Amino acid sequence: MKFTPRQPGINVNVTPTHPLKELAILAGGLLTIVVGVYLALGLAVDLMVPRLSMELEKKLAGAFIGRLVETDPVADTTRSLQALVDRLQDRCAPLPYTITVHVKESDAVNAAALPGGHMVVFTGLLAEMASENELAFVLAHELGHYAHRDHLRGLGRALVLMTASTVLLGADNSINSMIGQGMVLTELSFSRKQETQADEFALETLFCHYGHVTDATSFFSKIPKDGDPGRFGHYFASHPENRRRIGHLEDLARERGYPPGKPLPLPADLVSKSKPS
Amino acid sequence: MIDLIVFLSLLALGYGAGTWAEKRHYRSIAEREGAMIDMPAVTLKSVDIPEHKIRSAQLVYGSAVISVDYFKRILASLRNIFGGNVKSYESLLDRARREALLRMKEMAGDATVIVNVRIETAAIGKQSRRKNIACLEAMAYGTALTVEK
Amino acid sequence: MIITNIESVPGKTVLEHFGLVSGSTIRAKHIGRDIMASLKNLVGGELKGYTQLLQESRQQAMERMIEEARLMGANAIVNVRFSTSSVAQGAAELYAYGTAVRVE
Repeated sequence: MKFTPRQPGINVNVTPTHPLKELAILAGGLLTIVVGVYLALGLAVDLMVPRLSMELEKKLAGAFIGRLVETDPVADTTRSLQALVDRLQDRCAPLPYTITVHVKESDAVNAAALPGGHMVVFTGLLAEMASENELAFVLAHELGHYAHRDHLRGLGRALVLMTASTVLLGADNSINSMIGQGMVLTELSFSRKQETQADEFALETLFCHYGHVTDATSFFSKIPKDGDPGRFGHYFASHPENRRRIGHLEDLARERGYPPGKPLPLPADLVSKSKPS
Repeated sequence: MIDLIVFLSLLALGYGAGTWAEKRHYRSIAEREGAMIDMPAVTLKSVDIPEHKIRSAQLVYGSAVISVDYFKRILASLRNIFGGNVKSYESLLDRARREALLRMKEMAGDATVIVNVRIETAAIGKQSRRKNIACLEAMAYGTALTVEK
Repeated sequence: MIITNIESVPGKTVLEHFGLVSGSTIRAKHIGRDIMASLKNLVGGELKGYTQLLQESRQQAMERMIEEARLMGANAIVNVRFSTSSVAQGAAELYAYGTAVRVE
């Protein structure tokens, strides 16, 4: 048998695509799918959330909240804050929730509405209060979030993301821990619409309880003392969002014809915590 | 964040070093194949050589183990989600087999023809959890016949 | 292109040979097939998705081998052998090789 040495000109066993192009296509495709699924699930969660019952919410909340809420050492403050919240809730903001107030020692000027009816108020915020009305507005604002069940939307999305990443990559992966950390920052912040609705709720509650809405927005107008509002600085007037909120509330007060009135001083237990402003 | 940076730099390293090593290897393979083109390796059992002319028949073999770089591995896992040809591994397999064949021919020395060539492949490396270290071992073996002129 | 598994092509004579030709593919399954396979694990039976995947692999490997033989000027491939291995997780690798010859 004769042998003729021949060579094929090309290599048939290798596809001549550039590897970087392949990476771009595959990674891009994956990213699109992930983003699409996230958005679709966000929509689904938004639809489902108003139908979630209180007991189920308390059970789900237990999983996320355990770390944040501890026994607080400032018992007196907690008690009078709790009493104030209960008074507000009594006639003017009846919610099917039992709200538990927790006070945490921190310089953060903030309050948070966490799932399960746990409201967290930081002592930094209490230090800035000049009157009971001001404090009542902030607390009523948080009650508004509860009334509209805003906190559940963030919780729902985080749960869905964690389930998806567990299915794809296995439990205990790095994405889950990223979500656990990131949730405190992103998913617990509320959208502009939710904030505005909570503002309106607070305004109405204040009017109902005190008969007037003086001092409601005075907290917004405060300039931070050290000039740096920090991570949660959206309560300060320097934040452009707040100017809009103040304007909106003032318009609303004018529309509804809320009369001016005299603000009440802070309850005695909380006075010692406030600094002269 | 630091995880992401480490990942991206490993990816870049894998791509850079891997592509350079692959090009170098392919050049060497092409060169040696050109030099050894006159020694055929066939899967036939006989090539019509009368028995009295065969001076010697000897088993010859050659093997090579080639491993993937990080970049190729990531591409393969992405491909696993979408399906289709895993293009990044094709060159790996190609190189391993051609290298094995060349080493077999080198072992044959100055034989005339290598008959009944078989090529076996095996994937070796730690098969731990879900991440296989992709190393392919290719082995080629056949009988080298030396024919007197 | 005539392809046989035996030493020759019956009824024709081999005039010359050109050496070894080969074709290889490596195909991965996508997530859909994976999920179907896990479900099938519960009830048993043929995994049609995987069967189809391997058939496509074999088809493509043979096509590549034929292409290489044609580029060499052959019109038949004899003594074809197959070999498979699992190189990557979830991917099927198929390798076909034979001797390219010219018959008449």
